[in-house]
Amino acid sequence: MNPLSHPHPPDYLDKRKVSQSFDRAAPVYEEWASLQKMVGDELVERLEWVKMKPRQIVDVGAGTGNLSRALSHNYKSADIYIVDISEKMIIEARKKASKWFSKQHFVCADAAQLPFIDDSVDLLISNLMLQWCNDIAAVFAEFARVLKPDGALFFSTLGPDTLKELRQSWASVDNGNHVNKFIDMHDYGDALLRAGLINPVMDVDRLEFTYPDVKQLMKTLKQIGAHNITAGRSRSLTGKGKFQAMLAAYEKYRSAEGLLPATYEVVYGHALGKRKIEPVSEAASVAVPVKWEK
Amino acid sequence: MDRRLLDILVCPITKGKLIYDKKNQELISKGARLAYPIRDDIPVMLPDDARHLSLEDLEKFK
Repeated sequence: MNPLSHPHPPDYLDKRKVSQSFDRAAPVYEEWASLQKMVGDELVERLEWVKMKPRQIVDVGAGTGNLSRALSHNYKSADIYIVDISEKMIIEARKKASKWFSKQHFVCADAAQLPFIDDSVDLLISNLMLQWCNDIAAVFAEFARVLKPDGALFFSTLGPDTLKELRQSWASVDNGNHVNKFIDMHDYGDALLRAGLINPVMDVDRLEFTYPDVKQLMKTLKQIGAHNITAGRSRSLTGKGKFQAMLAAYEKYRSAEGLLPATYEVVYGHALGKRKIEPVSEAASVAVPVKWEK
Repeated sequence: MDRRLLDILVCPITKGKLIYDKKNQELISKGARLAYPIRDDIPVMLPDDARHLSLEDLEKFK
């Protein structure tokens, strides 16, 4: 297909689809969201290294509020604003909220158009949400706007090696766009600096999940609302023959234990609130410190 | 409606102040000419889900 005939670049994520996709997944989300849980726990642990007493916390892309509940527990005096683009997720999050923590506030909003006053947030946290955003620059600009100058951003997202086995298996079958694309850690670091956020630090962790078969993996992705929502994907059903060919290609990854692996490249980042005075020079290239972990 | 939340909320487009319309459970952005619904106490701050305000509607919030 001529790419110019398509209204969006092929890796464009359809925002409404993202929201609908998560709306449908809301009731079963938590059961399937062990990755989100693990990575969220890691974020909470990282926050414990930092001595901060945030009074205003925003959790963007909060899903059903797992992370927000942990934060409520750790920062009892803080107000926590629990934000998700999916209204159903927010409703689920509120159902699960403990009534003992009355300082939780629920809002449905888009990360690229946050409805908060400038310079109002001490701690902005986002767990595995940025990989669904089309326009990282717009999202980070919003983060920079709402963060206080001495505020902090902590986030996790997915890097390009995520689901590499699935992507490579499809690549051996056709040139279609079957798996979401994920941007590189360095691009996140650069985008943070361009947004005026300071001292970004990024690192990456690779997690491997195993599944008895590919169908189970794809079912999981579907149930967490994270199956392919790239706008350029084929609208028609993928032919059964092609799907079978992909399944056969995936078999080469099967382990001695008889399980199929799926890699998740988890990118962690943090940065501090924006500089107040000078605009960031376009020409300046600043090295982002990178720490590699196993 | 959550007071604490109202204090921090602005229009996601204009970043301007909102007017709380208690009767209709809406948050009004005069700048964007939009009314954001509050459904079941949850403000839905998505411009695509907001109601466009006519000039007559706007008059009411002078």
